[in-house]
Amino acid sequence: MNGWTLAATVGLAGGLGTALWGVATGPLRRRVVAQNLSTALACPGLLLLSQAYGRPSYVDLGLVLALLGPVGTLVFARLLADELAEDPPRAWGPTWAVAGLGAATVIALCVATGPSRAMVKLLVIGALLIGGNVIASRALSGGFRGVRRG
Amino acid sequence: MSPRTTLLAAGELAAWWAGFALLWLVLISTVDTLERVIGAAAAALGALAARSARRAVSGP
Amino acid sequence: MADAVIVVALLLVAASATVAVVTRDPVRQALVLAVLGVVLAVLFTVLQAPDVGLSQLAVGSALTPLLLMLTVRKVRRRGQEKGRGR
Repeated sequence: MNGWTLAATVGLAGGLGTALWGVATGPLRRRVVAQNLSTALACPGLLLLSQAYGRPSYVDLGLVLALLGPVGTLVFARLLADELAEDPPRAWGPTWAVAGLGAATVIALCVATGPSRAMVKLLVIGALLIGGNVIASRALSGGFRGVRRG
Repeated sequence: MSPRTTLLAAGELAAWWAGFALLWLVLISTVDTLERVIGAAAAALGALAARSARRAVSGP
Repeated sequence: MADAVIVVALLLVAASATVAVVTRDPVRQALVLAVLGVVLAVLFTVLQAPDVGLSQLAVGSALTPLLLMLTVRKVRRRGQEKGRGR
């Protein structure tokens, strides 16, 4: 068991456990935020697992999750727009904390990889992860009201 | 269609194509001739789709 | 000791599946199902089946919630129309 496996285990257990607890209890506005953050927490875990197993092709899982996770959240933001407009979620603290965690993970993996094409791929995944997460959070808190009925 | 708009359209398509081809080269695992050919073709298709999507959203 | 991550993934799957069964409201159930899809993809990755994990991610994180939410929306709208007609 190397350090990468340990980091992935701790990150997945803590992050996804917290997200599961958030999505299982509380009002709807907390549940949608927890669902959004669950994808943003699982993606660094998958990247760490790829490094732990020494298989660069596993990085594709993180890439797909960084792309599709925000898409899933946008589905909820669009179809729950009426419920969320009455009680909009404001969770910029957790959002930026999780984004920072993702950035730290990506930077650590970049340092371990060294300058190469694989590092650029990791940086692309990190940019997709943080950008998608922030956009999904903004859509949940009603930042795109103008396109609600589009 | 004046020469100016044709030139603008070609420039936009070339910019999209370059971006997509670069993305393809970054995301694949091993770079060889077949991958380059397929990447160039896929980037060309993507450039056409991206330009029509951009025109549909923000107008010509 | 290297199996710890497998145990963690299995526990997460068991917990989220139980929560998905216990939740009664279909909208909240769809949210839990989205999390369950992500956790299942992690389990498949940990069990060295990343191809299965990829398809699970593609289906579970966006498609299943979309289908569920569209169905809920249609059923609710039909119920409102019926209530108005009566």
